[in-house]
Amino acid sequence: MSNDITMKIDGIECVAAEGEYILNVARANNIFIPAICYLTRCSPTLACRICLVEADGKRVYSCNTKVKEGMEVTVTNQEILEERRAIMEVYDVNHPLQCGVCDQSGECELQNYTLEIGVDSQTYSIPDTKREAANWSSVLHYDPGLCIVCERCVTVCKDMIGDSALKTGPRGGEGINKDAKDTMPKDAYAMWNKLQKSVIVPSNGTGETNCSDCGECIAVCPVGALVSRDFVYQSNAWELKRVPATCAHCSSGCQIYYETKHTSIGDTSEKIYRVTNEWNYVSLCGAGRFGYDFENRAEGKNKEAFDKAVEALQKADSIRFNSVITNEEALMLQTLKEKFGTKLVNPDAFAFQKFLKAYSRSSGKTLYGSDFKEIMKSDFVISVGCALHNDNPNARYAFNNIQKMNKGAGLYFHPVADPLIASLGKSVECFTHKPGLEEAALYLVLDLFAKRERLPQDTIDYLDSFHSKITKTVQEKVMEDVTETVTDAKTGESKEVTKKVPKTIEKEIVVDENRLALLLGGKGDFAETFQDMMKKKERFSLIIGEDLYFHTKAENLAALVALIESSCDIEIVMVPPKTNSLGVALICDLDESAEGYCVGYNEKGDFRLSALGDGDLDMPAMNQQEGTLTNMNKRVLPTNAALEYNGYELNDMMVALEIGKHLTIDWTPMLAGKRGFKKANFDELPNGYTNSGVENRGYALENISTHAEAIQLQKFDESIALEGEIAYRCNPQRQFNDFSDKAHQIFEEYGLYASTAKAESLGGKVEVDFGSSKMIFEVISDDSIEGEIVRVPDFKSEKDIYTLFGEDRYKNVIIRKV
Amino acid sequence: MSLEEFKNRNVGQQTYKMVQSDPTPKTGKEQFEQVVRRAFKGELFVGLYVTLREMINALFRGEMHTIKYPFEKLPISPRYRAIHDMLRLLESGHYRCIGCGLCEKICISNCIKMDTRYDENQRKEVSEYTINFGRCIFCGYCAEVCPELAIVHGARYETASEQRASFSLFEDMLTPIDALKLQQEYDGFGAISPNADQNIKKTPLAY
Amino acid sequence: MEAAVLPEVTSAGVIIKAIIILAVIAAIAGFGTFIERKVLAFMQRRLGPMHVGPYGILQLVADGIKLFTKEDIVPQHSNKIIFKIAPVITAATAFIALASVPVFPDFTIPQWVPLLGGVFVPSIAADINIGILFVLGMMAAGLYGPLLAGMAQANKWGIIGSARTAIQFLSYEVVTGLSILAPIMLVGSLSLVDFNTYQTGGLTSWILWQQPVAFVLFLIAGFAETNRTPFDLLEHEAEIISGYATEYSGLRWGLFFIGEYANMVTVSILAAVVFMGGYNDLGFLPGWLMIILKIAFVFFFMLWVRASWPHIRPDQLMWLCWKVLMPIAVINVVITGLFMMV
Repeated sequence: MSNDITMKIDGIECVAAEGEYILNVARANNIFIPAICYLTRCSPTLACRICLVEADGKRVYSCNTKVKEGMEVTVTNQEILEERRAIMEVYDVNHPLQCGVCDQSGECELQNYTLEIGVDSQTYSIPDTKREAANWSSVLHYDPGLCIVCERCVTVCKDMIGDSALKTGPRGGEGINKDAKDTMPKDAYAMWNKLQKSVIVPSNGTGETNCSDCGECIAVCPVGALVSRDFVYQSNAWELKRVPATCAHCSSGCQIYYETKHTSIGDTSEKIYRVTNEWNYVSLCGAGRFGYDFENRAEGKNKEAFDKAVEALQKADSIRFNSVITNEEALMLQTLKEKFGTKLVNPDAFAFQKFLKAYSRSSGKTLYGSDFKEIMKSDFVISVGCALHNDNPNARYAFNNIQKMNKGAGLYFHPVADPLIASLGKSVECFTHKPGLEEAALYLVLDLFAKRERLPQDTIDYLDSFHSKITKTVQEKVMEDVTETVTDAKTGESKEVTKKVPKTIEKEIVVDENRLALLLGGKGDFAETFQDMMKKKERFSLIIGEDLYFHTKAENLAALVALIESSCDIEIVMVPPKTNSLGVALICDLDESAEGYCVGYNEKGDFRLSALGDGDLDMPAMNQQEGTLTNMNKRVLPTNAALEYNGYELNDMMVALEIGKHLTIDWTPMLAGKRGFKKANFDELPNGYTNSGVENRGYALENISTHAEAIQLQKFDESIALEGEIAYRCNPQRQFNDFSDKAHQIFEEYGLYASTAKAESLGGKVEVDFGSSKMIFEVISDDSIEGEIVRVPDFKSEKDIYTLFGEDRYKNVIIRKV
Repeated sequence: MSLEEFKNRNVGQQTYKMVQSDPTPKTGKEQFEQVVRRAFKGELFVGLYVTLREMINALFRGEMHTIKYPFEKLPISPRYRAIHDMLRLLESGHYRCIGCGLCEKICISNCIKMDTRYDENQRKEVSEYTINFGRCIFCGYCAEVCPELAIVHGARYETASEQRASFSLFEDMLTPIDALKLQQEYDGFGAISPNADQNIKKTPLAY
Repeated sequence: MEAAVLPEVTSAGVIIKAIIILAVIAAIAGFGTFIERKVLAFMQRRLGPMHVGPYGILQLVADGIKLFTKEDIVPQHSNKIIFKIAPVITAATAFIALASVPVFPDFTIPQWVPLLGGVFVPSIAADINIGILFVLGMMAAGLYGPLLAGMAQANKWGIIGSARTAIQFLSYEVVTGLSILAPIMLVGSLSLVDFNTYQTGGLTSWILWQQPVAFVLFLIAGFAETNRTPFDLLEHEAEIISGYATEYSGLRWGLFFIGEYANMVTVSILAAVVFMGGYNDLGFLPGWLMIILKIAFVFFFMLWVRASWPHIRPDQLMWLCWKVLMPIAVINVVITGLFMMV
């Protein structure tokens, strides 16, 4: 932890962490410093130069100057004002006067700052360059005419998202008049010089970005240059009503606003036009940003179907559901179980619940210790069993952000190689191990990071058994002094000259060979690499993924995680498999399998309640209901209804069964009885961020201490590692569930995802034999994976993929061409 | 009367002109005198003369004031705010509306709605536009706020119709393309002021 | 005072005359409404009815069609029989009064006309020797029309209207009678034909010049008798909606209307015959044209006055009648008598 220091901005005393930027300190203290190009969680770009301030008498840029004890900052003086005005004038040079049609009008930072700085006349001029609007991908629309090249999109794509799909390219604009250098304020000149030369282009050199289509660049764009293709010229910003909500696609639970307006003149029902976020504090993925129109437009209350549903719930032996439900609904289902003894079946939450239970038995806490907010401050991150690219975008953003912002290092253990992860930072080591060897990975973490004194002796012995000293011949370059006699051709004189000449010598050294690393597919020189990676590292974190919950030896893995947490200085987070798996795992007592008459809630069943509009009774989708969600940061977050819903909801059935409440949100304070939840009324839950970036949303779950048993570790079993044709249950990016699939801007198809090479060898269509049953898939080539393992998505509940895979995420299959 | 005087509501402070009427007669004699005076003053004949004169003027000197509406119509003041007109660009014939939505925003009775879309020419196209004339109070804000001088209040005051919808769609308000020659600039609400040129600062266009 | 020998008046001639009077006067009453609207419009610099027929001349046809086709409404609590009879009284008395008034010069139907050829049509349907008395009597009887109508219709405006009818008509009967008494004394006959004969000596022989005061009084009283502005208190819209005619509509109201205009014509004829030289030739102008011109002028004068002058109050009306007009009329009679004795 860095020490707090005291400094003054415009005479106001501010307390800040040492090493913080002036701009962030000012923002945290509600002092306004104009800034266009800076993004709070990303590195300073220094493109706009408008955040100029005077610190201790010197002109500095507040976005990249760190505060010092006793520093005195003046935000404005005459000179700075002139500079800022010149900068804004330059930004306004040739900026199209099309605010009338521009999508950003009303929330445009160029408009805002032009007015704020008071630019009412223009001093500069230059011939304009013709720039054509282009579509970069299925969702991105870029109009370079409007672009002010602040590079926020480039910065966020690199520092936050990790795709690095954008860069600045040549603009082909005319050079600035040479006289300008002497007549203009110098920062404005420098800014203009750069602006006149550059424009944003996809970094792969083609006209199209090859990225995860998260749309974060759209969010951060201060002007109307980057807009979603679907939203171009659809609505003015001020016509849209912002409904604060929580994204319900994955367990990140990102803060979002659903922005709604009537559909058209003819159709006055509300429609979601777009999703926006507080992009300074939270980054969305493509599903969150574009997968919003999954609402269930129920025609009305179907009393007949409702009566049948109530009857079905009464007689049901089991209820199948998934984790895309609110905590309140989970509590209702649990109440049903308590009253009627119905079995609750939810495979993803069940596995996670089991894992959490095993973890808390060993650790003495109900929940893992850290959250993603915290681990983003670390500088060494390890990921085990999590397909970072696909399972949870925010986990991947965190992993990337640590590399970029904290000059961090990372270890990525996963059986499916992902070239993107390797590219996130220089010191990222990827271990592409065999499926089933996750225990070995955790043992390796123990071996690398554990304080030996905190480990039980048998574990130390076990770890040591993997080490062996081997003698290795290495080639080393040394500088050797060579003395030679040189004869001058003219004079004939001889002279002795001494030169340093590099020479390669062979040297025998004793190396510590770690068999664990090798087993996991590590390179032979891992020990050295690791030495480099560990330099100047202070905080360590570990991301635990879904592979571990769906694992034959999940309990042993949980114990290992608990041991890592207690014996190493590593902060641990777990990624719940689905949206509200954590909430469901804490609230419901789940059963392993369904039996008898089964009611399915968004899942298969004899009677189907469905928010997808295809069931026996309609239910509200996540954007149509109020409630809370528990995310992976262990927070209980409120979400609001953005759209109207005319049908019945679960609480109505509970009322019919005489165990209901007046409103669904009346269940929110009832959660208090469950592990870690608080007695809080829904309407009192906040949903926002403070200026300093403090997440003021909902409330944090309490991590309750429980009785800890002695950790009983098992040695890992190399034999459970899978060989041969392997299928991996994993969704493509931007797809999480039926709801993301229903959204019209999510284009990822259902099919068998395979690496480019594998897809080529498989051909167009294949039959996958899971042993118990066979399925036919279209093969989809995916360049974000490498290797032989194919991925089977589980986002379509009707395919019942969980049953196929059982308690594992990897499965030996036979693939036949069809 | 100047505006200041007009706005002075201190009744009694103004310099009213009192009508000088005869004192009320009290005695019978006075009453008799008044009757005689009034009877022979000839005011009745003045009245007859006035009406006869007006009739003669009207019939023979062209002072007839009747306008044979609906065959004849008086010109409407530009300040009159009737049913809206949507104007076209004179050069291209394309409608002027760019779909900026300012009229929709400023409308105090919330009666304007528009749908826009991204068209094939990469422009913002107004796919539908409607004014709910059941709600419109004809305040003229929409005409005033319009940056393109596209929506104006026309002179169409005959707004009786079987349905209000007969006026409220974009096509109804838009100048018919064959009547483009007849389209006139509007100088009422929202028109640019005559000295608009003097009020703007000019930006250098050095190339 | 026998005039030239006239052919014998046959009953066929009288019937023809009666039909002519009824048809022509009723038409004139209708036409009068058109003229009134036109004149009032011109005096207010308007055009008046313009659209039905040339210059709106067929407006009266349109109005007639409207009146004839309107629903006949009889109020629920009215005295239905009297309510229905009252308009007929007004119209009937108005036309009966015209029986003893010379309306057109006499003529003989040409021989070539089948059936009626050679029939002599007199100028007066009934040349009774008390013509003036009969006319005044019938006009006085016309009072029952508005009176009964107002009282029968169970409407407070009607009641007020009929009350006003009673006082106004009764009061001004006195003035009419007294004012016309002086000319009667001069002529020495109650027959209107005798009045006409009395004034054969050209413009100067008009009784108007001998009896100007009587003429003015007769005109004023005539306005009151015919319920014209400034004495149209019986159905003064601003005060009592439509007075005695409040509940009437359609044809029944049309009968009141025709009656009123017939009365106006009667008064105009009386004024023309008694004071303005009757149907005597004037220079080169033939008598029938003169009488028409005179009647038309008096009729026009009534409209002119309506366009120019305001109403007066009921109390002013009574005051004018009893305190001003009647004394003057009496004095006029006395002075006339004195002159005749001298």
